[in-house]
Amino acid sequence: MNDTLNQWFANCALTPGILGCGVRLPDGNCMSQSFNDSCPRERLDQSLQSLGDCLSSFPAHGLVPRWLTWTFEQGQLRIALRPDGFLLGLAIQPNSPAAENLDLLTEEFLALNLTD
Amino acid sequence: MDDEINFLETLRALFTSWSKNSWQIECASSADQALEILKTRPFELIVVDVNMPVLDGEQFLRILARRYPDLKKAAITGHATEERRSACLASGAELFIEKPRSAEGLKSVFTMLDELVTWKQQTGFQGMLRRVGLQDVIQMECLGRNSSLLEVQDRQLTGRIYIEDGRIIHAVAGEATGEPAFQQLLSLAGGAFQLQPFEAPPQRTIEGQWEFLLMEAARVRDESSTQTPATEPVAEPGPPPAFEAPAPAPDFSLHVAETLICSGQGTLLYQWQCSDVRARVALMVEIAQQAARVGRLLSLGKFDRLEIQLPASRAVAQVKPDRMVFVQVATKTGNS
Repeated sequence: MNDTLNQWFANCALTPGILGCGVRLPDGNCMSQSFNDSCPRERLDQSLQSLGDCLSSFPAHGLVPRWLTWTFEQGQLRIALRPDGFLLGLAIQPNSPAAENLDLLTEEFLALNLTD
Repeated sequence: MDDEINFLETLRALFTSWSKNSWQIECASSADQALEILKTRPFELIVVDVNMPVLDGEQFLRILARRYPDLKKAAITGHATEERRSACLASGAELFIEKPRSAEGLKSVFTMLDELVTWKQQTGFQGMLRRVGLQDVIQMECLGRNSSLLEVQDRQLTGRIYIEDGRIIHAVAGEATGEPAFQQLLSLAGGAFQLQPFEAPPQRTIEGQWEFLLMEAARVRDESSTQTPATEPVAEPGPPPAFEAPAPAPDFSLHVAETLICSGQGTLLYQWQCSDVRARVALMVEIAQQAARVGRLLSLGKFDRLEIQLPASRAVAQVKPDRMVFVQVATKTGNS
Protein backbone atom coordinates (compact mmCIF):
# COMPACT_ATOMS: atom_id res chain seq x y z
CA MET A 1 0.00 0.00 0.00
CA ASN A 2 1.08 3.54 -0.61
CA ASP A 3 3.33 4.59 2.30
CA THR A 4 1.73 8.01 2.54
CA LEU A 5 -1.69 6.44 2.85
CA ASN A 6 -0.36 3.97 5.39
CA GLN A 7 1.07 6.76 7.52
CA TRP A 8 -2.13 8.73 7.24
CA PHE A 9 -4.09 5.69 8.45
CA ALA A 10 -1.72 5.38 11.40
CA ASN A 11 -2.19 9.04 12.30
CA CYS A 12 -5.95 8.56 12.09
CA ALA A 13 -5.76 5.81 14.64
CA LEU A 14 -4.31 8.29 17.16
CA THR A 15 -7.43 10.42 17.08
CA PRO A 16 -9.89 9.48 19.83
CA GLY A 17 -13.37 8.84 18.46
CA ILE A 18 -12.41 7.20 15.16
CA LEU A 19 -14.53 4.05 14.82
CA GLY A 20 -12.99 2.99 11.53
CA CYS A 21 -11.55 4.33 8.34
CA GLY A 22 -11.14 3.12 4.82
CA VAL A 23 -10.13 4.09 1.33
CA ARG A 24 -11.51 2.85 -1.96
CA LEU A 25 -8.70 2.85 -4.48
CA PRO A 26 -9.17 4.02 -8.06
CA ASP A 27 -9.18 0.34 -9.16
CA GLY A 28 -12.25 -0.28 -6.98
CA ASN A 29 -10.52 -2.25 -4.24
CA CYS A 30 -11.16 -1.16 -0.66
CA MET A 31 -8.85 -1.18 2.32
CA SER A 32 -10.36 -0.47 5.69
CA GLN A 33 -9.32 -0.52 9.31
CA SER A 34 -11.74 -1.01 12.16
CA PHE A 35 -11.17 0.50 15.59
CA ASN A 36 -14.54 -0.39 17.08
CA ASP A 37 -16.89 -3.39 17.01
CA SER A 38 -19.69 -1.23 15.62
CA CYS A 39 -17.78 -0.96 12.34
CA PRO A 40 -16.30 -4.34 11.29
CA ARG A 41 -13.76 -4.09 8.48
CA GLU A 42 -15.70 -6.09 5.88
CA ARG A 43 -18.83 -4.04 6.50
CA LEU A 44 -16.86 -0.82 6.28
CA ASP A 45 -15.67 -1.99 2.87
CA GLN A 46 -19.24 -2.68 1.77
CA SER A 47 -20.47 0.66 3.12
CA LEU A 48 -17.65 2.45 1.35
CA GLN A 49 -18.54 0.82 -1.98
CA SER A 50 -22.20 1.64 -1.55
CA LEU A 51 -21.75 5.24 -0.40
CA GLY A 52 -19.11 5.82 -3.07
CA ASP A 53 -21.58 4.75 -5.75
CA CYS A 54 -24.20 7.01 -4.19
CA LEU A 55 -21.78 9.95 -4.18
CA SER A 56 -21.07 9.48 -7.85
CA SER A 57 -24.79 9.86 -8.60
CA PHE A 58 -24.96 13.37 -7.09
CA PRO A 59 -23.64 15.30 -10.12
CA ALA A 60 -26.64 14.02 -12.08
CA HIS A 61 -28.76 15.93 -9.54
CA GLY A 62 -26.78 19.14 -10.05
CA LEU A 63 -24.74 18.64 -6.86
CA VAL A 64 -20.96 18.20 -6.89
CA PRO A 65 -20.07 17.66 -3.23
CA ARG A 66 -16.66 18.24 -1.71
CA TRP A 67 -17.75 15.70 0.85
CA LEU A 68 -20.78 14.06 2.41
CA THR A 69 -21.48 13.47 6.11
CA TRP A 70 -23.98 10.75 6.91
CA THR A 71 -25.15 11.30 10.49
CA PHE A 72 -26.60 8.46 12.54
CA GLU A 73 -27.53 8.45 16.23
CA GLN A 74 -24.25 6.89 17.31
CA GLY A 75 -21.85 7.78 14.56
CA GLN A 76 -21.06 9.80 11.49
CA LEU A 77 -19.65 8.68 8.17
CA ARG A 78 -17.60 11.17 6.19
CA ILE A 79 -17.23 10.36 2.51
CA ALA A 80 -14.90 12.38 0.27
CA LEU A 81 -13.73 11.71 -3.26
CA ARG A 82 -10.42 12.95 -4.69
CA PRO A 83 -10.13 13.89 -8.34
CA ASP A 84 -7.68 10.98 -8.81
CA GLY A 85 -10.36 8.48 -7.74
CA PHE A 86 -9.32 7.75 -4.13
CA LEU A 87 -12.43 7.70 -1.97
CA LEU A 88 -12.23 8.29 1.78
CA GLY A 89 -14.60 6.81 4.34
CA LEU A 90 -14.25 7.82 7.99
CA ALA A 91 -16.56 6.53 10.71
CA ILE A 92 -16.45 8.60 13.87
CA GLN A 93 -18.19 8.99 17.20
CA PRO A 94 -20.23 12.17 17.64
CA ASN A 95 -18.94 14.74 20.15
CA SER A 96 -15.41 13.34 20.09
CA PRO A 97 -12.06 14.89 19.14
CA ALA A 98 -12.44 13.06 15.81
CA ALA A 99 -15.77 14.81 15.23
CA GLU A 100 -14.24 18.18 16.03
CA ASN A 101 -11.38 17.52 13.61
CA LEU A 102 -13.40 15.85 10.88
CA ASP A 103 -12.95 18.66 8.37
CA LEU A 104 -9.23 18.84 9.17
CA LEU A 105 -8.81 15.08 8.66
CA THR A 106 -10.72 15.26 5.39
CA GLU A 107 -8.71 18.19 4.10
CA GLU A 108 -5.52 16.30 5.01
CA PHE A 109 -6.69 13.29 3.00
CA LEU A 110 -7.65 15.45 0.02
CA ALA A 111 -4.19 17.07 0.10
CA LEU A 112 -2.16 13.84 0.42
CA ASN A 113 0.34 13.18 -2.32
CA LEU A 114 -0.57 9.65 -3.42
CA THR A 115 1.26 9.53 -6.72
CA ASP A 116 3.95 7.09 -5.50
CA MET B 1 8.69 20.76 25.38
CA ASP B 2 12.26 21.24 24.24
CA ASP B 3 15.31 19.00 23.93
CA GLU B 4 17.49 21.74 25.47
CA ILE B 5 17.14 20.94 29.18
CA ASN B 6 18.95 24.08 30.31
CA PHE B 7 16.62 26.29 28.31
CA LEU B 8 13.63 24.50 29.87
CA GLU B 9 14.91 24.97 33.41
CA THR B 10 15.60 28.66 32.79
CA LEU B 11 12.08 29.15 31.47
CA ARG B 12 10.53 27.24 34.36
CA ALA B 13 12.32 29.41 36.95
CA LEU B 14 11.58 32.72 35.23
CA PHE B 15 7.94 32.00 34.28
CA THR B 16 7.15 30.70 37.78
CA SER B 17 8.56 33.87 39.24
CA TRP B 18 6.87 36.26 36.76
CA SER B 19 3.52 34.53 37.23
CA LYS B 20 3.90 34.92 41.03
CA ASN B 21 3.65 31.13 41.29
CA SER B 22 0.24 31.05 39.59
CA TRP B 23 1.66 28.94 36.74
CA GLN B 24 2.37 25.27 37.36
CA ILE B 25 4.95 24.22 34.81
CA GLU B 26 5.91 20.73 33.66
CA CYS B 27 8.92 20.20 31.40
CA ALA B 28 9.37 17.48 28.78
CA SER B 29 12.41 16.83 26.61
CA SER B 30 10.61 14.70 24.00
CA ALA B 31 7.20 14.25 22.41
CA ASP B 32 6.48 10.93 24.11
CA GLN B 33 7.40 12.38 27.49
CA ALA B 34 5.10 15.34 26.83
CA LEU B 35 2.24 13.00 25.89
CA GLU B 36 2.74 11.01 29.10
CA ILE B 37 2.59 14.22 31.16
CA LEU B 38 -0.53 15.40 29.33
CA LYS B 39 -2.30 12.18 30.35
CA THR B 40 -1.78 12.89 34.07
CA ARG B 41 -4.04 15.96 34.39
CA PRO B 42 -5.62 18.78 32.37
CA PHE B 43 -3.29 21.48 31.03
CA GLU B 44 -4.16 24.89 29.61
CA LEU B 45 -1.13 25.52 27.45
CA ILE B 46 1.74 23.68 25.82
CA VAL B 47 4.81 25.31 24.32
CA VAL B 48 6.45 23.12 21.68
CA ASP B 49 9.94 23.44 20.24
CA VAL B 50 9.59 23.06 16.49
CA ASN B 51 13.04 21.53 15.93
CA MET B 52 12.79 18.22 17.73
CA PRO B 53 14.41 14.92 16.83
CA VAL B 54 12.28 11.88 15.88
CA LEU B 55 8.93 13.66 15.77
CA ASP B 56 9.13 17.25 14.55
CA GLY B 57 7.09 20.00 16.15
CA GLU B 58 4.61 20.37 13.29
CA GLN B 59 3.62 16.70 13.38
CA PHE B 60 3.41 16.86 17.15
CA LEU B 61 1.15 19.93 16.95
CA ARG B 62 -1.19 18.06 14.60
CA ILE B 63 -1.40 15.13 17.02
CA LEU B 64 -2.09 17.54 19.88
CA ALA B 65 -4.80 19.29 17.85
CA ARG B 66 -6.61 15.98 17.45
CA ARG B 67 -6.11 14.51 20.90
CA TYR B 68 -6.40 17.71 22.93
CA PRO B 69 -8.48 20.16 20.87
CA ASP B 70 -9.05 22.46 23.88
CA LEU B 71 -5.35 22.70 24.77
CA LYS B 72 -3.77 25.98 23.70
CA LYS B 73 -0.60 25.51 21.71
CA ALA B 74 2.42 27.74 21.11
CA ALA B 75 5.30 26.84 18.80
CA ILE B 76 8.79 28.14 19.56
CA THR B 77 11.91 27.96 17.41
CA GLY B 78 15.40 29.34 17.17
CA HIS B 79 15.15 29.52 13.37
CA ALA B 80 11.95 31.32 12.51
CA THR B 81 10.94 31.50 8.87
CA GLU B 82 7.67 32.53 7.28
CA GLU B 83 7.17 29.00 5.91
CA ARG B 84 7.68 27.42 9.30
CA ARG B 85 5.37 29.96 10.91
CA SER B 86 2.60 29.19 8.39
CA ALA B 87 3.09 25.45 8.82
CA CYS B 88 2.89 25.65 12.63
CA LEU B 89 -0.22 27.83 12.60
CA ALA B 90 -1.82 25.50 10.07
CA SER B 91 -0.97 22.56 12.32
CA GLY B 92 -2.96 24.03 15.20
CA ALA B 93 -0.60 26.42 17.01
CA GLU B 94 -2.26 29.61 18.21
CA LEU B 95 1.08 31.36 18.63
CA PHE B 96 4.44 31.15 16.84
CA ILE B 97 7.43 32.57 18.72
CA GLU B 98 11.11 32.98 17.93
CA LYS B 99 13.36 31.94 20.81
CA PRO B 100 14.46 35.12 22.56
CA ARG B 101 18.11 35.88 23.11
CA SER B 102 17.70 38.25 26.10
CA ALA B 103 15.86 38.50 29.41
CA GLU B 104 13.67 41.26 27.94
CA GLY B 105 12.76 38.93 25.11
CA LEU B 106 11.84 36.19 27.58
CA LYS B 107 9.60 38.62 29.48
CA SER B 108 7.89 39.47 26.21
CA VAL B 109 7.34 35.75 25.51
CA PHE B 110 5.89 35.31 28.99
CA THR B 111 3.46 38.18 28.44
CA MET B 112 2.31 36.70 25.12
CA LEU B 113 1.80 33.25 26.63
CA ASP B 114 -0.04 34.75 29.61
CA GLU B 115 -2.36 36.55 27.18
CA LEU B 116 -2.92 33.31 25.29
CA VAL B 117 -3.82 31.45 28.49
CA THR B 118 -6.27 34.09 29.67
CA TRP B 119 -7.80 34.68 26.23
CA LYS B 120 -11.21 33.12 25.89
CA GLN B 121 -12.38 32.30 22.43
CA GLN B 122 -15.63 34.02 21.55
CA THR B 123 -18.35 31.50 20.87
CA GLY B 124 -21.21 31.95 18.43
CA PHE B 125 -21.22 34.31 15.49
CA GLN B 126 -22.84 37.53 14.58
CA GLY B 127 -24.34 39.04 11.50
CA MET B 128 -26.92 41.44 10.16
CA LEU B 129 -30.51 40.56 9.52
CA ARG B 130 -30.80 42.52 6.31
CA ARG B 131 -28.16 40.24 4.79
CA VAL B 132 -29.09 37.01 6.52
CA GLY B 133 -32.66 35.86 6.73
CA LEU B 134 -33.39 34.97 10.32
CA GLN B 135 -35.42 32.02 9.06
CA ASP B 136 -32.30 30.73 7.24
CA VAL B 137 -30.35 30.58 10.48
CA ILE B 138 -33.24 28.95 12.34
CA GLN B 139 -33.61 26.33 9.58
CA MET B 140 -29.94 25.44 9.76
CA GLU B 141 -30.01 25.20 13.56
CA CYS B 142 -33.13 23.01 13.52
CA LEU B 143 -31.90 20.77 10.73
CA GLY B 144 -28.58 20.38 12.49
CA ARG B 145 -30.45 19.48 15.71
CA ASN B 146 -28.46 22.15 17.47
CA SER B 147 -29.20 23.80 20.77
CA SER B 148 -28.70 27.54 20.70
CA LEU B 149 -30.03 30.89 21.75
CA LEU B 150 -30.70 33.43 19.02
CA GLU B 151 -30.68 37.01 20.28
CA VAL B 152 -32.41 39.39 17.89
CA GLN B 153 -32.43 43.16 18.03
CA ASP B 154 -33.69 45.97 15.88
CA ARG B 155 -34.04 49.67 16.72
CA GLN B 156 -37.21 49.21 18.77
CA LEU B 157 -37.40 45.55 19.69
CA THR B 158 -35.23 43.01 21.45
CA GLY B 159 -36.03 39.31 21.50
CA ARG B 160 -34.73 35.81 22.02
CA ILE B 161 -35.48 32.50 20.34
CA TYR B 162 -34.54 29.33 22.22
CA ILE B 163 -33.72 26.24 20.16
CA GLU B 164 -33.11 22.93 21.91
CA ASP B 165 -32.02 19.81 19.99
CA GLY B 166 -33.42 21.31 16.79
CA ARG B 167 -36.79 22.25 18.32
CA ILE B 168 -37.99 25.79 18.87
CA ILE B 169 -39.12 25.77 22.50
CA HIS B 170 -39.52 29.41 23.51
CA ALA B 171 -39.47 32.92 22.14
CA VAL B 172 -39.73 36.31 23.72
CA ALA B 173 -40.00 39.68 21.97
CA GLY B 174 -40.52 42.73 24.15
CA GLU B 175 -43.56 41.87 26.29
CA ALA B 176 -44.74 39.06 24.00
CA THR B 177 -43.86 35.38 24.43
CA GLY B 178 -44.51 32.15 22.55
CA GLU B 179 -45.59 31.96 18.93
CA PRO B 180 -46.69 35.65 18.71
CA ALA B 181 -43.20 36.67 19.83
CA PHE B 182 -41.60 34.25 17.35
CA GLN B 183 -43.69 35.66 14.49
CA GLN B 184 -42.96 39.23 15.57
CA LEU B 185 -39.21 38.57 15.44
CA LEU B 186 -39.42 36.89 12.04
CA SER B 187 -41.38 39.87 10.70
CA LEU B 188 -38.53 42.30 11.38
CA ALA B 189 -37.31 44.01 8.23
CA GLY B 190 -33.80 44.62 9.59
CA GLY B 191 -31.66 44.50 12.67
CA ALA B 192 -28.94 42.32 14.06
CA PHE B 193 -28.62 38.95 15.70
CA GLN B 194 -26.18 36.87 17.68
CA LEU B 195 -26.19 33.11 17.88
CA GLN B 196 -25.25 32.26 21.44
CA PRO B 197 -24.66 28.98 23.27
CA PHE B 198 -27.90 27.48 24.52
CA GLU B 199 -29.21 28.34 27.95
CA ALA B 200 -32.38 27.01 29.54
CA PRO B 201 -35.36 29.31 28.99
CA PRO B 202 -37.42 30.62 31.93
CA GLN B 203 -40.43 28.82 30.42
CA ARG B 204 -41.40 26.71 27.40
CA THR B 205 -44.05 28.35 25.30
CA ILE B 206 -43.71 26.73 21.87
CA GLU B 207 -44.38 23.11 20.96
CA GLY B 208 -45.09 22.99 17.21
CA GLN B 209 -42.77 21.59 14.55
CA TRP B 210 -40.28 24.15 13.35
CA GLU B 211 -41.20 23.69 9.68
CA PHE B 212 -44.79 24.76 10.32
CA LEU B 213 -43.76 27.55 12.68
CA LEU B 214 -41.58 29.00 9.93
CA MET B 215 -44.31 28.63 7.32
CA GLU B 216 -46.82 30.32 9.64
CA ALA B 217 -44.35 33.12 10.36
CA ALA B 218 -43.84 33.60 6.62
CA ARG B 219 -47.61 33.82 6.13
CA VAL B 220 -47.98 36.39 8.93
CA ARG B 221 -45.06 38.37 7.52
CA ASP B 222 -46.57 38.40 4.05
CA GLU B 223 -49.92 39.55 5.41
CA SER B 224 -48.42 42.32 7.50
CA SER B 225 -46.25 43.54 4.61
CA THR B 226 -49.35 44.03 2.41
CA GLN B 227 -50.89 46.14 5.20
CA THR B 228 -47.83 48.34 5.66
CA PRO B 229 -48.66 52.03 5.00
CA ALA B 230 -46.85 53.63 2.09
CA THR B 231 -45.26 56.13 4.46
CA GLU B 232 -43.55 53.36 6.46
CA PRO B 233 -39.85 54.17 6.41
CA VAL B 234 -37.72 51.64 4.59
CA ALA B 235 -34.80 50.22 6.52
CA GLU B 236 -31.78 52.20 5.45
CA PRO B 237 -28.43 50.62 4.84
CA GLY B 238 -26.07 51.71 7.56
CA PRO B 239 -24.30 50.46 10.62
CA PRO B 240 -26.10 47.70 12.48
CA PRO B 241 -27.55 48.48 15.91
CA ALA B 242 -24.79 48.71 18.47
CA PHE B 243 -23.69 45.38 19.87
CA GLU B 244 -21.09 45.03 22.53
CA ALA B 245 -18.94 43.11 20.11
CA PRO B 246 -15.16 42.97 20.44
CA ALA B 247 -14.58 43.09 16.70
CA PRO B 248 -16.37 44.52 13.64
CA ALA B 249 -19.24 42.32 12.53
CA PRO B 250 -18.28 40.07 9.61
CA ASP B 251 -20.23 40.51 6.43
CA PHE B 252 -22.22 37.28 6.20
CA SER B 253 -24.16 36.69 3.05
CA LEU B 254 -26.26 33.60 3.56
CA HIS B 255 -29.46 32.70 1.86
CA VAL B 256 -31.64 29.67 1.38
CA ALA B 257 -31.32 28.62 -2.25
CA GLU B 258 -33.80 25.77 -2.20
CA THR B 259 -36.23 24.05 0.15
CA LEU B 260 -38.22 20.86 -0.28
CA ILE B 261 -40.40 19.00 2.21
CA CYS B 262 -42.09 15.75 1.32
CA SER B 263 -43.76 12.92 3.20
CA GLY B 264 -41.88 9.79 4.20
CA GLN B 265 -43.27 8.14 1.07
CA GLY B 266 -42.06 10.94 -1.21
CA THR B 267 -45.29 12.94 -1.65
CA LEU B 268 -44.45 16.61 -2.10
CA LEU B 269 -45.70 18.80 0.77
CA TYR B 270 -43.82 22.04 0.14
CA GLN B 271 -41.13 23.29 -2.18
CA TRP B 272 -39.40 26.57 -2.86
CA GLN B 273 -37.07 27.24 -5.80
CA CYS B 274 -36.55 23.58 -6.69
CA SER B 275 -35.63 23.54 -10.36
CA ASP B 276 -36.67 19.90 -10.76
CA VAL B 277 -38.96 18.73 -7.96
CA ARG B 278 -39.30 15.17 -9.25
CA ALA B 279 -35.53 14.71 -9.45
CA ARG B 280 -35.03 16.16 -5.97
CA VAL B 281 -37.66 13.84 -4.48
CA ALA B 282 -35.94 10.94 -6.26
CA LEU B 283 -32.64 12.00 -4.66
CA MET B 284 -34.26 12.07 -1.22
CA VAL B 285 -35.64 8.56 -1.74
CA GLU B 286 -32.19 7.39 -2.86
CA ILE B 287 -30.61 8.94 0.24
CA ALA B 288 -33.19 7.21 2.45
CA GLN B 289 -32.51 3.83 0.79
CA GLN B 290 -28.74 4.29 1.03
CA ALA B 291 -28.98 5.26 4.71
CA ALA B 292 -31.08 2.18 5.41
CA ARG B 293 -28.51 -0.03 3.65
CA VAL B 294 -25.61 1.41 5.65
CA GLY B 295 -27.71 1.23 8.82
CA ARG B 296 -28.00 -2.53 8.30
CA LEU B 297 -24.24 -2.88 7.76
CA LEU B 298 -22.93 -0.76 10.65
CA SER B 299 -24.22 -0.47 14.20
CA LEU B 300 -24.59 3.28 14.30
CA GLY B 301 -28.24 3.64 15.30
CA LYS B 302 -31.00 5.44 13.43
CA PHE B 303 -30.18 7.68 10.50
CA ASP B 304 -30.79 11.38 11.05
CA ARG B 305 -29.44 13.47 8.18
CA LEU B 306 -27.00 13.82 5.33
CA GLU B 307 -24.92 16.97 5.13
CA ILE B 308 -23.64 17.83 1.67
CA GLN B 309 -20.67 20.20 1.52
CA LEU B 310 -20.65 21.89 -1.88
CA PRO B 311 -18.02 24.30 -3.24
CA ALA B 312 -20.07 27.45 -2.50
CA SER B 313 -22.99 26.16 -0.54
CA ARG B 314 -24.17 23.54 1.85
CA ALA B 315 -27.21 21.32 1.85
CA VAL B 316 -28.88 19.18 4.48
CA ALA B 317 -31.14 16.25 3.70
CA GLN B 318 -33.07 15.00 6.70
CA VAL B 319 -34.91 11.70 6.44
CA LYS B 320 -37.54 10.73 9.02
CA PRO B 321 -40.28 8.09 8.80
CA ASP B 322 -42.94 10.79 8.39
CA ARG B 323 -41.06 13.39 6.35
CA MET B 324 -38.02 14.20 4.26
CA VAL B 325 -36.58 17.70 4.20
CA PHE B 326 -33.97 19.14 1.83
CA VAL B 327 -32.53 22.63 2.34
CA GLN B 328 -29.68 24.17 0.38
CA VAL B 329 -28.05 27.29 1.76
CA ALA B 330 -25.58 29.34 -0.25
CA THR B 331 -22.92 31.08 1.79
CA LYS B 332 -20.43 33.79 1.10
CA THR B 333 -18.29 35.66 3.62
CA GLY B 334 -16.22 38.75 3.29
CA ASN B 335 -15.47 42.04 4.97
CA SER B 336 -17.90 44.91 4.69
